[in-house]
Amino acid sequence: MQMFTIGQLARRYSLSRSTLIYYDSIGVLKPSGRSESNYRLYSEDDLKKMDRIQLYRSTGLSLDSIELLLKTQSSDLSSTLEGRLFAINNEIEKLRDQQTVILKILENEILEKKTRVITKDVWVSILRAAGLDESGMKNWHVEFEKNSPDAHQDFLESIGIEKNEIAAIREWSRPAI
Amino acid sequence: MNNEAMNKEKWVLLFKEIGLDEATMIRWHKEFETRYPEGHQSFLEWLNIGESEIRQIRTM
Repeated sequence: MQMFTIGQLARRYSLSRSTLIYYDSIGVLKPSGRSESNYRLYSEDDLKKMDRIQLYRSTGLSLDSIELLLKTQSSDLSSTLEGRLFAINNEIEKLRDQQTVILKILENEILEKKTRVITKDVWVSILRAAGLDESGMKNWHVEFEKNSPDAHQDFLESIGIEKNEIAAIREWSRPAI
Repeated sequence: MNNEAMNKEKWVLLFKEIGLDEATMIRWHKEFETRYPEGHQSFLEWLNIGESEIRQIRTM
């Protein structure tokens, strides 16, 4: 019967020798034989076992579960895989939660940027500092309303003035007919 | 806040019409920048002024 060295096995499965030695040490895959100089030798059956290990690894099962699976009847496979599926679903759910949190944070940041509000008080204080008095400000609203009524509305909304007050401001900004 | 109706030119015109001269407008920007730098930035953005010009105005 043909036997394989650890190097041949490593190449065949694209694994490192140390991984195979580790598998040996934890009992997942013990080589069936040893050479005269005590090198590990793997049989055809070992290779078949390795095929299964690779298959199970690709589903993300832990080595513990794999070991258990290799020892028990193959009918346990579906229940083990179901368990793995359950774990994957949990992971996905967790990731989705994280995704939601991240999106919320990003949305809030954008929103915050948009509404870095200049409040009415801020406006008034700056206009005053620039030398505009009460009548000057009134005048400003009148001109604003005359030249760009929509922008006037938009502007008043943006500095957080209530609907009623906006209506009132725009009302006295319009020339009496 | 969407803003299609207002731009820098209209805003300047508005200030001119109520009798604010160039010097007052510059003073106004300086006040704005000193007191409320973030508000100044978002106001200039609201006027659809480009990034480089905003920087220029804020460092006047």
